[in-house]
Amino acid sequence: MRLEGTHELHAPRDKVFAALTDPQVLARCIPGCESLEKQAGDVYTAKLSAGVGAIKGVFQATVRMADMRPPEHYRLIVEGKGQPGFLKGSGDMDLTEKDGITSIHYVGEASVGGLLASVGQRMVESAAKMLAGKFFSALEAEAQK
Amino acid sequence: MATKYVGNRVKRTEDPRLIQGLGHYVDDIKLPDTLHVAFVRSIYGHARITGVDASAAAKAPGVVAVYTGKDIGKIGGVPCASDLPEMKKPEFLVLASNKALFVGHAIAAVVATDRYLAKDAADMIQVDYEELPAVTEEVKAAAGAPYVHEQFGTNIAYKLTAGEGDIAAAFRSSDKVIKQRILNQRLAPIAMEPRGVLARYYPGEQELTLWSSTQIPHLMRTQVALMLGMPENRLRVITPEVGGGFGSKLNVYAEEALLGWISMQLGQPVKWIESRRENFQSTIHGRAQLGDLEIGIRKDGTVTGLRYNVFADMGAYYQLLTPAIPTLTGLMLSGSYKIPAIQINVTAVFTNKMSTDAYRGAGRPEATYVVERAMDLVAAELGMDPVEVRRKNFPAPNEFPFKTATGLFYDSGDYVLALEKALKNADYKKLGEEQKKARAAGRLVGIGVSTYVEICALGPSAALPAGGWESATVRIEPTGTVTVLTGASPHGQGQETSFAQIAGDELGVSIEAVTVIHGDTSIVQYGIGTFGSRATAVGGTAVFVALQRLKEKASKLAAHLMGVDPATVKFADGRFTSGAKSMAIQEVALHAHLAKSLPEGMEPGLSATYFFEPKNFTFPFGTHICIAEVDKDTGEITLQRYIAVDDCGRVINPLLVDGQVQGGIVQALGQAFYEHVVYDENGQLLTGTLMDYALPRATNCPWMELDRTETPSPVNPLGVKGVGEAGTIGATPCLVNAVIDALAPLGVRHLDMPLKPETLWRIISGNSARSA
Repeated sequence: MRLEGTHELHAPRDKVFAALTDPQVLARCIPGCESLEKQAGDVYTAKLSAGVGAIKGVFQATVRMADMRPPEHYRLIVEGKGQPGFLKGSGDMDLTEKDGITSIHYVGEASVGGLLASVGQRMVESAAKMLAGKFFSALEAEAQK
Repeated sequence: MATKYVGNRVKRTEDPRLIQGLGHYVDDIKLPDTLHVAFVRSIYGHARITGVDASAAAKAPGVVAVYTGKDIGKIGGVPCASDLPEMKKPEFLVLASNKALFVGHAIAAVVATDRYLAKDAADMIQVDYEELPAVTEEVKAAAGAPYVHEQFGTNIAYKLTAGEGDIAAAFRSSDKVIKQRILNQRLAPIAMEPRGVLARYYPGEQELTLWSSTQIPHLMRTQVALMLGMPENRLRVITPEVGGGFGSKLNVYAEEALLGWISMQLGQPVKWIESRRENFQSTIHGRAQLGDLEIGIRKDGTVTGLRYNVFADMGAYYQLLTPAIPTLTGLMLSGSYKIPAIQINVTAVFTNKMSTDAYRGAGRPEATYVVERAMDLVAAELGMDPVEVRRKNFPAPNEFPFKTATGLFYDSGDYVLALEKALKNADYKKLGEEQKKARAAGRLVGIGVSTYVEICALGPSAALPAGGWESATVRIEPTGTVTVLTGASPHGQGQETSFAQIAGDELGVSIEAVTVIHGDTSIVQYGIGTFGSRATAVGGTAVFVALQRLKEKASKLAAHLMGVDPATVKFADGRFTSGAKSMAIQEVALHAHLAKSLPEGMEPGLSATYFFEPKNFTFPFGTHICIAEVDKDTGEITLQRYIAVDDCGRVINPLLVDGQVQGGIVQALGQAFYEHVVYDENGQLLTGTLMDYALPRATNCPWMELDRTETPSPVNPLGVKGVGEAGTIGATPCLVNAVIDALAPLGVRHLDMPLKPETLWRIISGNSARSA
């Protein structure tokens, strides 16, 4: 499943990029994030409570950042596993700034399995978009601090 | 002899208990101390299992045991009864241990004191997977790596070429060879009652009883005994009510052996009732053939030859008859036509999906769909009426038994008769005029025709893996009631009624006095089961012949008791008569049991058993016609009329035949317009619930105008052919042909099923954009 979108944040790019790569900020911004810990390098482990409709559960996830080119680009690789199934995906984040507004363009591929796939597949894409919206609004607030 | 019951619309004697909720399905059988089993199933289409941690589950409340692939070493693999030359044979163990090869592949079984605790504990089992690239597409699968079964170094399960006649020469001599790629999409059988197993082992008696929702209790007994390495005479299979099979329960599944084995380990009854999600994932699917059709024709519409190169998706493993299904497709490629040269080239491939196997029609709907689409393609190519193309290629009634280039002998048939009756019932000429008017008014109205033939009453033992006969025992008990034991295992088809009709007429007794018993291997003599529209044609014939034998004995005894010459005894309306003397058959039965006065050498009792082996299949046929209108704005299809004329030979009970035809047409409607099992490129099952897998609903069903012709089969003394699958076989192409005809003015010549409104809407709107 291809995921693509652009979000505009009313904050300077440097601050947005810094927020995006700050584990404490991320923990506050990711919807359903119960914990997020930095491991070696740009790898984080997270406990996420997430779901689609009636299919909810806790996911153990690994989040990795690669191709870091502050403040304009990085690649995000997520793998999560939990009772409702698994999810994995990777995507490129590109940040541009114009008139004090930072645009984040993301494009990536995601796949889900287990209960999530067999029951929730049709809703995964819109749920992902909704979660992305929540995440970026929270991030915007953080970057404006 | 005049018949009181046979041929009449006798109401099903099964129904009062079923519609009052008084029937007993597997889940209704409650045994004390029953434990419940839940499965952990693969969430990957293809993955290495690197670890299974059941420690938390083992300590969970109510959990009695947890079993994984490491524990079940002694249980034999899931059986496959068909064998083809150079066929690759993967071993399908009842629990996966190293690799999971499809979503739903069972990895662990949890046994707990109730089913919810079992489910909760199953959720605690941690399976570590290393995902592997999945094989999901037939053509790519055949081309090479990645492989479902590494050890074979190929995904090709087998290749098969069949058919007679020089196909190359036939095409050379044709005026035109029409080509079309045709998909018979993967379907889920969806019985209303999913599968279920209850197993009880008595360690003292060393007796295992399995209650299972199956179509084949005896074959299951044999196979499960082999899988468990136990004596077959210590295993009893009981099939209570079955809430639909459609081929999905013509199988021996991993769970059946595994539940038996678990009960033997624990010495307690264990039960598993499949959830709907498990049903989608790990009960067999049907169809899944993608092929290239080539049909050679002359300018006048005569068909010269037909070739079908088809990829058949086996799934990851074979179930009981998986590899055999495409061979049935090959056999039926002549349809109801004289085609001098036919060739099928099957490439059967493994994919990371659930196995395919027999689903209502089993290979024949696929063939009929191809042939009946071909006839419409020919008609479109030549600008001929589809009815005339068909009529032109029919064999004449005096050509029967008719030999096809696929090697079959069609027993009897009068294809023109059924066609003419359907045309008359439909008022075909008028339909054409109405269609012209509708088209002129800008409406998309289509007429669909299909003239099918199918292969039934399976069948001679030479053609089946495990015996093509069927058995019956008939008894008159001391009090005069009649017991019929049938080896066929009817599960909704109504043979408790129709076999009682046969017995009632033959013995001159009321059907209320007859009980038909089936589905218990300790009560009923060995039998084959119900599938391939065989129960009445083969099993009913066994009942009929057994009844004749019983009457012969009763007649001799009656003569003896009345003190008359046996040659003078006549039997009518339940009484033996000779001159002024007369005796009811029930009195004779009592004397047979009292055995105080028997003729010299006669055994006491009054029963007869017969095992009927048919010499050939039977070939029912018919014509279906329907009128479909496609909404220009929404792509929605409305079926305005549905007309069917089916010939299933002699009819025992028209009510039952109508029910079979109606149900069959509805399942065809499912394939034509709604259903499709979809896996994504990772082998994830996307249609895993009834929210995602569209089934036809009551509001989607047209009123069906049903009629019949009766061409008795010479294969059995009842003249019966079989009707269980005819509706599905005849209707699928009829429905699709109608919709394609509706869209013909837009230049549409073929579309793949299911014909979703979205697909049609895109075509319609794309076309109107171009013409605007």
